[in-house]
Amino acid sequence: MIGFLGLDVGSVSTNLVLLNEEGRVLKSVYLRTSGRPIAALQKGLRQLCGLLPAKTAIRGVGATGSGRHLAGIIAGADVVKNEITSHAAAAYRLVPGVRTVLEIGGQDSKIIIIRNGVVVDFAMNTVCAAGTGSFLDQQAARLNIKIEDFGKAALKSAAPVRIAGRCAVFAESDMIHKQQMGYDLPDILAGLCEALVRNYLNNVGKGKDISDPVVFQGGVAANQGMKAAFERALQTEVIIPPHFDVMGAVGAAMLARDYVSRGIPTKFKGFGAAETDFRAGSFECDGCPNLCEVVEIKEEGRVIARWGDRCGRWSIRVAREKIS
Amino acid sequence: MTVKIGIPRSLLFYYYYPLWKTFFEGLGAEVTVTGPSTKAVLEEGLGLCVDEACLPVKVAFGHVAALRGKVDFIFVPRLVSVFPREYICPKFLGFPDMVRSCVGGLPGLIDININLYRREKDLYRQLREAASPFCRNPLRIAAAFGEALAEHRRFTERLEAGMLPDDAFGDREVAGGKPGGENWTVALVGHPYNIYDSFINLNIIKRIREARMNVVTADNVPGPVVDRYAGTLSKRLFWTLGRRMVGSAYYFMDNPAIDGIIHVASFACGPDSMTGELIQRRARRTGTPFLSLTLDEHAGEAGIVTRIEAFLDMVAMKSELSTLS
Repeated sequence: MIGFLGLDVGSVSTNLVLLNEEGRVLKSVYLRTSGRPIAALQKGLRQLCGLLPAKTAIRGVGATGSGRHLAGIIAGADVVKNEITSHAAAAYRLVPGVRTVLEIGGQDSKIIIIRNGVVVDFAMNTVCAAGTGSFLDQQAARLNIKIEDFGKAALKSAAPVRIAGRCAVFAESDMIHKQQMGYDLPDILAGLCEALVRNYLNNVGKGKDISDPVVFQGGVAANQGMKAAFERALQTEVIIPPHFDVMGAVGAAMLARDYVSRGIPTKFKGFGAAETDFRAGSFECDGCPNLCEVVEIKEEGRVIARWGDRCGRWSIRVAREKIS
Repeated sequence: MTVKIGIPRSLLFYYYYPLWKTFFEGLGAEVTVTGPSTKAVLEEGLGLCVDEACLPVKVAFGHVAALRGKVDFIFVPRLVSVFPREYICPKFLGFPDMVRSCVGGLPGLIDININLYRREKDLYRQLREAASPFCRNPLRIAAAFGEALAEHRRFTERLEAGMLPDDAFGDREVAGGKPGGENWTVALVGHPYNIYDSFINLNIIKRIREARMNVVTADNVPGPVVDRYAGTLSKRLFWTLGRRMVGSAYYFMDNPAIDGIIHVASFACGPDSMTGELIQRRARRTGTPFLSLTLDEHAGEAGIVTRIEAFLDMVAMKSELSTLS
């Protein structure tokens, strides 16, 4: 069987998917990055390897997420794409005709406007991460409920409480205040969902032409309370696509499939990459007053990639060493 | 002994360097320019400047500080107006005074007023003041001024022929047309000290070019074209830079050779928040791919790079589709 691999190394989760030749999602793995992207990716590769149908040949690999360059180097990716293009690619292939994509991940949120299968506008949260997965995680932990139960609890609310959602810190203060006033937990949770949706639509979604069909994806789409709050605010049905939590990886795999279909052989290093010793380190370059922090990735003690230098002094050297 | 004059590589340096340099050299002075902005320059500027200023002003402080001990005079003109009936940002107006009160150990400052609000002809009288600390020969000043104006005209012609300031400063021949090989053209609209300072904009021009796209800016658009398009606004914009940005952006939206527009703004810039909105609204109406980037000293590289990459993908996808149909 021929398969295509998608890797999405994000701030909170690391996701891997396997697509078949028709672009259908066969397997997916969702892991917590836990601040150690290399270890998470290797663990993911190991798990996915165990799930593979017999005699699977990986013909293409795509990497995305904030750790896309790292993932691309470690696994040997054919395509390294930003999250916006990847999420859009997955959304319009899994939900044909989609016009608006709402994506909320661990530490960022995006809106993507698609017309006739082409991205025409997008935005990402700029200075504020209130309303993203990390904040919901933190609040669930504070209230001592499992994040998986958050949405269900919020759905039980009949009268959501108004929470100040402008800033995560103030939202938390306001929730504490509402608890102390004696409001019911489900009402507070539903109120928080509404506050976060309001924040999202006013910041990320400001001035965007949000029209049907609307797709909601990213880890936070697992939260039924958020879906309901979006539906109430937008007065329309919000579609949660299958594989909503690994859409970035799905998109990256699809882009890799398109790329290698031109007859380009894959750079995939094989699942053995999970057992190879990769180390990341950094040093400060003192070549000029910019003092760039250069990141160095080593495979079995050999430098395979460097980045972070503005002038290219270090990154170019790796490319030269490889050729010679 | 030759007088040494330092010019900070910041603010309107990107528009007037050839004019200033030629003028001072014509008077027999030696001109020194600070190097490109670096982290050290920014750090120095952040430490010296008031917190409320925008990023480019903070960087300019760093450049002024870098000239300490190296020159006899630093040229920091008080730029009030460079075109009749238009103004430059008030922070430029106060710049020499802010520098004088915040930066210690300075050599002499040449902080003449440049105010062409009434008429452009006033420039000669005003620049003559700049010569006064070291040259009082009226014939020499007049000759230097003539050369400076000619050099400025030549520089402007090079910009209008498609060069960006860094290339146009040099003596290379004007290349005919745009360099070959690029598939698409992106217009970069923003204040010159934001779009041409590769340190503060995280190398945006290089990133666009690496994606095989050609870059044009407001400075490549001839003045009369800017005037015509800016004239479609219901009220006259009196900021020179803002007017140039809006006029050229409207022209780019009308020009089928331009595939998308990136607007670069400084955080805390009043005029940018207004002109950015004017440009964005029309871009949305005309369906022009548009991206707005806001720069400050805390700009996270990851966020900016992801946005630029996604925008360039969007431009490429859209243009590919339209050539197919």
